[in-house]
Amino acid sequence: MGSLRDVLSPFTAWKHVIETPVTIRNPIGREAADGYRGFHQNDIEKCIGCGSCEVICQNAAIDMVPVSDPVDGDSGLRPKIDYGRCCWCALCVDVCMTGSLTMSNEYTWVDTDPDAFRFIPGVDPKPWDDLEKGYRREGGRVLTGAERVEMGELAPEARIDNFDEIVAGYTREQAMIEADRCVECGLCVATCPAHMDIPDYIAAIREGDYDLGLQILYETNPFSEVCGRVCTHKCETACAARHEGDPIAIRWLKRHIVDNVSEDRRLEIVGTPQTLPTRRKVAIVGAGPAGLTAAYDLARQGHAVTVYEAQDKPGGMMRFGIPEYRLPYAALDRDIAVIAAQGVKIETGVRIGHEITMDRLRAENDAVVLSIGLHIGRSTRIPGTEGGGVETAIDLLRRITAGEEVPVPKQVLVIGGGNVAMDIARSMARLQKVKHGAVGVTVTALEDFAHFLADREEIEESLEEGVEIIDARGPQEVVRFKSGNRKGEVKGLRSWAVTSIFDDKGRFAPQYDQGDERLHPAEMVVEAIGQAADVSILGEDLTEALDWNRGRLAVDVAGRTSEPWLWAAGDAVHGPDVITAVADGHRVAASVGAMLMAMGEVAR
Amino acid sequence: MIRFEPDRSQYPQPGDDGKIEIDLETGKYLKLWHGPNHPGITGNMSVELTLCGDEVVEGKTHVGYLHRGFEKLMERRTFIQVFPIVCRVCVPEPDFNEWCYAQAVEELAGIEAPEMAQWIRTLILEMGRFNSYMMAMGGIGGALGMGVIGQWMTYVRDLMLDRFEEMTGARIYHMFILPGGVRGHLPEGFSERMEEVLQTAERYLADVDKAMFTNAVFKARTKGVGVIDPALFEPYGVTGPNARAGGVAKDLRKDAPYLVYDQLEFEVVTETASDIWARARVRRRDIDVSIALIRQILAKMPKEGPVMAKLPNVLHWKIPRGETYVAGESSRGEYGYYLVTDGSGYPRRVNVRGPSYTHAMALLEHLIPGTNIADVAALMVSLHTYPPEIER
Amino acid sequence: MMRDLHDHLKTRYRLGDLAERRGNLAFVDVERADLRALLVELRDVHGFTHLSLLTAVDWIEEGRFQLTYLMNNRAANRTLGLRVFLDRADPVGDTIHDLWPTAATYQRELREMFGIAFPGSPRVDEEFILEGWTDMPPYRRDFDTLAYSQQTFSDREGRETHDPRSHMAKKLYPEGQR
Repeated sequence: MGSLRDVLSPFTAWKHVIETPVTIRNPIGREAADGYRGFHQNDIEKCIGCGSCEVICQNAAIDMVPVSDPVDGDSGLRPKIDYGRCCWCALCVDVCMTGSLTMSNEYTWVDTDPDAFRFIPGVDPKPWDDLEKGYRREGGRVLTGAERVEMGELAPEARIDNFDEIVAGYTREQAMIEADRCVECGLCVATCPAHMDIPDYIAAIREGDYDLGLQILYETNPFSEVCGRVCTHKCETACAARHEGDPIAIRWLKRHIVDNVSEDRRLEIVGTPQTLPTRRKVAIVGAGPAGLTAAYDLARQGHAVTVYEAQDKPGGMMRFGIPEYRLPYAALDRDIAVIAAQGVKIETGVRIGHEITMDRLRAENDAVVLSIGLHIGRSTRIPGTEGGGVETAIDLLRRITAGEEVPVPKQVLVIGGGNVAMDIARSMARLQKVKHGAVGVTVTALEDFAHFLADREEIEESLEEGVEIIDARGPQEVVRFKSGNRKGEVKGLRSWAVTSIFDDKGRFAPQYDQGDERLHPAEMVVEAIGQAADVSILGEDLTEALDWNRGRLAVDVAGRTSEPWLWAAGDAVHGPDVITAVADGHRVAASVGAMLMAMGEVAR
Repeated sequence: MIRFEPDRSQYPQPGDDGKIEIDLETGKYLKLWHGPNHPGITGNMSVELTLCGDEVVEGKTHVGYLHRGFEKLMERRTFIQVFPIVCRVCVPEPDFNEWCYAQAVEELAGIEAPEMAQWIRTLILEMGRFNSYMMAMGGIGGALGMGVIGQWMTYVRDLMLDRFEEMTGARIYHMFILPGGVRGHLPEGFSERMEEVLQTAERYLADVDKAMFTNAVFKARTKGVGVIDPALFEPYGVTGPNARAGGVAKDLRKDAPYLVYDQLEFEVVTETASDIWARARVRRRDIDVSIALIRQILAKMPKEGPVMAKLPNVLHWKIPRGETYVAGESSRGEYGYYLVTDGSGYPRRVNVRGPSYTHAMALLEHLIPGTNIADVAALMVSLHTYPPEIER
Repeated sequence: MMRDLHDHLKTRYRLGDLAERRGNLAFVDVERADLRALLVELRDVHGFTHLSLLTAVDWIEEGRFQLTYLMNNRAANRTLGLRVFLDRADPVGDTIHDLWPTAATYQRELREMFGIAFPGSPRVDEEFILEGWTDMPPYRRDFDTLAYSQQTFSDREGRETHDPRSHMAKKLYPEGQR
């Protein structure tokens, strides 16, 4: 078999003898393809130490190690990679929440020390740190969702003539999708003043276990229904997802849990104090978030707690400061009901210094907690503020909640750029719409839009509702009619343009461009530039005895004043929001509880 | 040409049960371990041969030298974490693992990869097939003493690895086919560079045709040797080129079109002799099909479009209870993944069906008795088996 | 079409409901006693001549093993997965090596990896992949690979990681102020 051709043909292979060899003479140093997955690079400034790279690594090649002090939204940890385990799959790059972790196209490196192949990219300098080439994921982060599930809201036209709640709350499907985006890094926990176990309750949503979710909420916050609506959600500014997408809607997810557990079920889950009564008594002054949180904690420790509240309903700023369209009273009442169920006595309509004195509280209790909030509106004291037609926001808000008649002129001017300014502007807008059929509210703020104090969504929603916001205006005078039948009535606000707010040393010292003067017509001016605590209730002797710090009660880290029986908590000492007050309440309760416990030990 | 015929009078006769009674004490037999490290072995396996003279009377396949318990490892990894390890089940043609796994996960999770990704996946699989055939060609040459074929094929394969490198970021374990799509688009100018590779390949393949397929020695060593009776195909689970060399025109790309194969034109290559020669020829001709397919894909594929579907957060991705089987036509035959999920974040069971599982075990053990010791390597290589598929 | 086949076979075999995965892939539960006759009929009458694979799934919570026989009819492009359940406490399957000789390999692997017996299957008790293995069959769910590797291998020295959340808690509010 076989032909001559079959014998000769193979010899054609000899032609290759005269060809140049195709072998690469020195493969060390051969540059890899542009998108090669070589040694890692980490932009250390961009990295937030969330550890998602470690979680996804199926080889356990990554350790998170401390390289700097943790700050809000950055754990200070950075990935250290063990190249004895790395399989170069680049899932760590794909999952990276900030895009800081990439791979260079450098892949050749010889060293006799195996430990040289364990290093912290970006921290331990390497020759490839600045290489432009290497694996870059295409099209951004795809392994975890980047976009927030949009929240259903009442349209501006549907909400402007009423105080109905604007935010609809997530459906289960929406919440599931939003909760799914969380990577459970827990960076948010440190930022939350109450250090709520955010990743855990979000996980409970994913599991559909709302009972568990509620239980987790109550471990750190008895005002989850309130916070689920109006929390300033600092946690979301620390969220790893915000770097390449929207932060997780932590606040809405918290609300979603509470929305899905009935009031009765909440009482069942939270239960009542499981300890024997200690026969220790605590008085708390002020039924706001700080006072009631402290009351909740102390009652659950078995102490007898009475909360004294000057208004005829508990809740403090949550009820009298925050408008109903943001926080319906029923939601607040449900949170308070759980607290009351712990045996906390809430005495409303009792003002210290009137119906009862501090001395009596001291005499009848083992400890007293002062959580009186900031209920006195500050005034700019510019010319013209004395007299009718000028109100403070906080007072107006309280009167609206209490159902009192408030003046609703066609044109209102609000001074201030914080959330309270927005609250009163939007409340007045609603009242105007009902009364006059049209909105006529102007807000002037010292800050320009880039540095506004109010939340972005508050500003957006205000604008949607027809509120006019003029930034960088300094109020100079409330102008009044000088003659005619409206003599003495408010004509408007005269303002100058702001050129700067703080001086070189960072002190508040606004500078104006006097050439840019405007008169904003208005029949009423509302000042929303801040609040103060009403410390007159302390009485002269106690005021004298206590240590003060720039007009505020001086307290130690645990909230204890210079008087051993008196603690202070909440806005009056710390500010500025519900969740901080809750955290304060916990802190004070822990301190009071420890003191009472020590007393118990001595008595025994 | 003279074929050596041994004197069979000394050989053992099968007993009533059809089995040969082998008594090593008689001194008639020799045990020979063919592998695990032997140039005629594809990968880390060995065949325990019992020889009588120069003829094999019994062969037993031994595997496990590279057992890493992949299927078990997958059960201990989340769905995304399985992605980097599947490719390691098969070194020379890793992409089938990536595609089968991704497709199975997508099916059970109700996700569909975008069209662009489907085209790129098809391209990758054909590039992988091409490379796998390069090793097969080199292997069959090497097994019959023609080392130069292996060198040429290794060079051409290396050029294709360059294309893999620029496309996927890696040469061997590409880790490019993610559940939900692929990791990226083709780099700028990819088609042109690919065309250069294909033309170089064609030049070298023309040399292979002259040096190996027009070669009296090669023909003598392969024609009529290692014949598989087509009647054995179904009982022994023979698929792919091994079956096509016996006249069975079965090819999953045609029979159960997946990815975009229904939009591509190609023939199913067959031969009839079912011997080593026929199997080598089927592979050689299938390389041409692959080359044509790569050109066709690059010409027909969309120029733009998304490459990834929206995935849930992979860090806690759970897939409802279910099971599926996804298979495709690899260079060696039916390659499939059987995936069972139980509603948790981890696979309940992953079973890899590699074609070598049947070819190198039951089939090889059935074929090998009666083979001349000099032909064992050629027979094995002609089955084109990759041991990691067997032991995983 | 799978449904027609299912309806047809259901009259003579004890079959579970047809679980359709795709148009050309479905799974069905089969009584162990019916398996052999069903396989023969599928092969000889209905064109399911190709055994794609035979493997097991450990449903440890349910106390049973699932054997999956993936039968393929290439000409019609249909695959039918037969599921046979075995008592996990005493798992014994029926060998089909006489129908598909290649099944002997699968059965040998199942014996080794899952501890499922297949009496009569050739060389079923010979070691297949594992040499000198004395532990429980490793593909059973209760074999803990992590524990095994921790016992068998030592960790690299000096490796220590930190959970971001607890690390921040330790650094920023060590007293657990909350």
